[in-house]
Amino acid sequence: MPVLSRPKGYAVRACAAGLAALGLTLATACGQPPGEETSGEGGEPAGIADDPQFVWAVTGADRAIHEEVARLWNENNPDKQVEVFFLAPTADEQRQAMFQDLQNQAGEFDVLGLDVIWTGEFAEFGYVESLEDLRGEVEGVSLEGSLDSAQWQQELYALPYSSNGAFLYYRTDLVEEPPSTWDELYETGMAAAEEEGISAYVGQGDQYEGFVVNYLELFWSADGQLFDDAQEQSTFLEGDAATTALDFMTEAYDSGFYADGFDSMVEDDARALFQAGEAVYMRNWPYAVPLLAGEGDEESAVADEFAVAPMPTFGGEGTTSALGGLNNAVSTLSENKELAREFVAWAATDPGAQDILAQHSLPPTMLSAYENAEDPNFEMLGEILSQAHARPPVPGYNSLSLAIQDNLHPAFRGQGEAGPALEAVDQAADDALEQE
Amino acid sequence: MATTQRVRVTSGLGERAMGRIFLAPSFAFMALIALFPVFYAIVISLYDIRGFSQEFIGADNYVRVITDSGFLDAVWNTLVFTVASVSLEFLIGMAFALIMHQVFIGRGLTRAVILIPWVIPTAVAAQVWRYMFDRNPGFVNSVLGTDINWLRDPTWAMVGIISADVWKTAPFVALLLLAGLQTIPKDYYEAAKVDGANALQRFWTITLPLLRPAIVVALLFRTVDALRMFDFAYVFTGYSNSLATLSVYAQRYLVRDPDLGYANALSTVTFVIVMVVGLLFISRMGRHMVGDVARKEK
Repeated sequence: MPVLSRPKGYAVRACAAGLAALGLTLATACGQPPGEETSGEGGEPAGIADDPQFVWAVTGADRAIHEEVARLWNENNPDKQVEVFFLAPTADEQRQAMFQDLQNQAGEFDVLGLDVIWTGEFAEFGYVESLEDLRGEVEGVSLEGSLDSAQWQQELYALPYSSNGAFLYYRTDLVEEPPSTWDELYETGMAAAEEEGISAYVGQGDQYEGFVVNYLELFWSADGQLFDDAQEQSTFLEGDAATTALDFMTEAYDSGFYADGFDSMVEDDARALFQAGEAVYMRNWPYAVPLLAGEGDEESAVADEFAVAPMPTFGGEGTTSALGGLNNAVSTLSENKELAREFVAWAATDPGAQDILAQHSLPPTMLSAYENAEDPNFEMLGEILSQAHARPPVPGYNSLSLAIQDNLHPAFRGQGEAGPALEAVDQAADDALEQE
Repeated sequence: MATTQRVRVTSGLGERAMGRIFLAPSFAFMALIALFPVFYAIVISLYDIRGFSQEFIGADNYVRVITDSGFLDAVWNTLVFTVASVSLEFLIGMAFALIMHQVFIGRGLTRAVILIPWVIPTAVAAQVWRYMFDRNPGFVNSVLGTDINWLRDPTWAMVGIISADVWKTAPFVALLLLAGLQTIPKDYYEAAKVDGANALQRFWTITLPLLRPAIVVALLFRTVDALRMFDFAYVFTGYSNSLATLSVYAQRYLVRDPDLGYANALSTVTFVIVMVVGLLFISRMGRHMVGDVARKEK
């Protein structure tokens, strides 16, 4: 007889997550992880509804934007007001907070703002409702990549809300035309870097999700696919994309094409170096544009000397970016599922709501938002996003991502063999499909 | 004498029994707070928990722990870190304590300066150290005139983590040892001097033996702490397998790649390792010593 039997045991289960944390606290009594310090007080309701009917749990990053979207909904629907519950700004903590709400059967959140890579996990765990019947509302309306990221095994579990894609930032004073292939990027970067005495390329090379994204962009741009169409088995090692991508990184690391410290660099480290005029090229998200341009009080050495382009590919055709962003899902514990579904659909398809994102340079997911863009960069972003790849939202995505980090990060730094490292990733990709 | 006997008779209970009764509530409270979570963690570690589904799988999680190469790496990393950091902290802490024990001008200031690292929250210190070790802008490298990848080369990263921890905790060891030094009567040294013992002989035959209780306590605290180390490893290298400690590895399955049953099995094993090491220390020094010295350190 299981101690934790389902129907009655929810109080017990409530303890489970908490106690697991406590067990760890016993083991780490003298130090909390830096992220955890805020998890207690990190989440808070925004207090924007006077008669809230349901709650939307969403990241605390870009807070003002989500709040404005919710206010717009409340203005239009005074009898169905939404309260926003801001989670911590970092992805791990958001997921943990939502897990706790669900695992403990607290059910305080009705709408969950899910990172694009969580769909499979939440769906398999039974945390979110199927939204397959709402497919008609978003098909042809939202970015295809965002839709891909919102479904698991051909079933829609969330609707697109926000998006994100990669720009290649380059120095207009050092590079005449942005490169269309990786080889061209490599050569022009090395030449300009040598002449100027700066670094050729900065990006996200630390051992974290950003590294996975940087690697996968190379992998996809060599025509690699992680899984077959039915999402039943790994195709990681089919063709030579996995090797091509890893070889490029190894070579770039060895030859100094990647800036010193690339292997411990995250978004803002890269941005700081590029902004100080220390690099020819940078792979980064669109958030860096206003900072580099020196908007506000920002100091920038490259304010008038940079531009953005789509990332190159190996073949020179098109561009490849990993797709970021949020999809909204409906919690299975919600007591207001109808209302929640209505809100999720509205956030995905209402031009007003999506326009709020666009105004604050958070890439929206509605195709029409990019059509009449006045800003050429924004138009380019729409183009990039239409070709972007969703990281596969399989249930074991986290294990897969960690396996890529554990195996390929040492490999590109020249520690250990490339072959076994790639095979380990292939194995992890297969396992990621089967995690129940 | 007569009075106490009369009290005993009227109360019907011995002093010891009374004592136990008075202690019972706080003991029960302690047990609830301290023991219940431990046992509950063990119970959970026998389940496979995925989302809303959970299944009793007996010792499978523990079998997985033992055969998990990531876990074995973590054990190794933790041991290397513990042995290296505790030895260095002990040597440096001892030197600090001897310095602080001397009477000289500016002693108060010296003590304060030596203790500063210990007062800084570990997570904050770890971030600062990470920044100093980072290749950009490369403070440590430019000070040492080296070109070392401190954060990502596994060997050097371990050196970095150990140095940061030694910097942080040597003052704590110094504090414990200083308290021990202050309990040694001056007369012994004077007598030894009269007998013609030199400084080294005095240190070896008087200071060390009399300081033994304080040394054992300092080593116990530090070893147990080092075995649970989280902050520096996590801040420096994240979940990287090549440097994860036991606590970082458990955290990985608790938060990053949630598998509650397995995470609890890892925590339990970590707990057992720390407990065994702790008990070894305690059994070597005897109960009296622990209580005695620990009280003085407070």
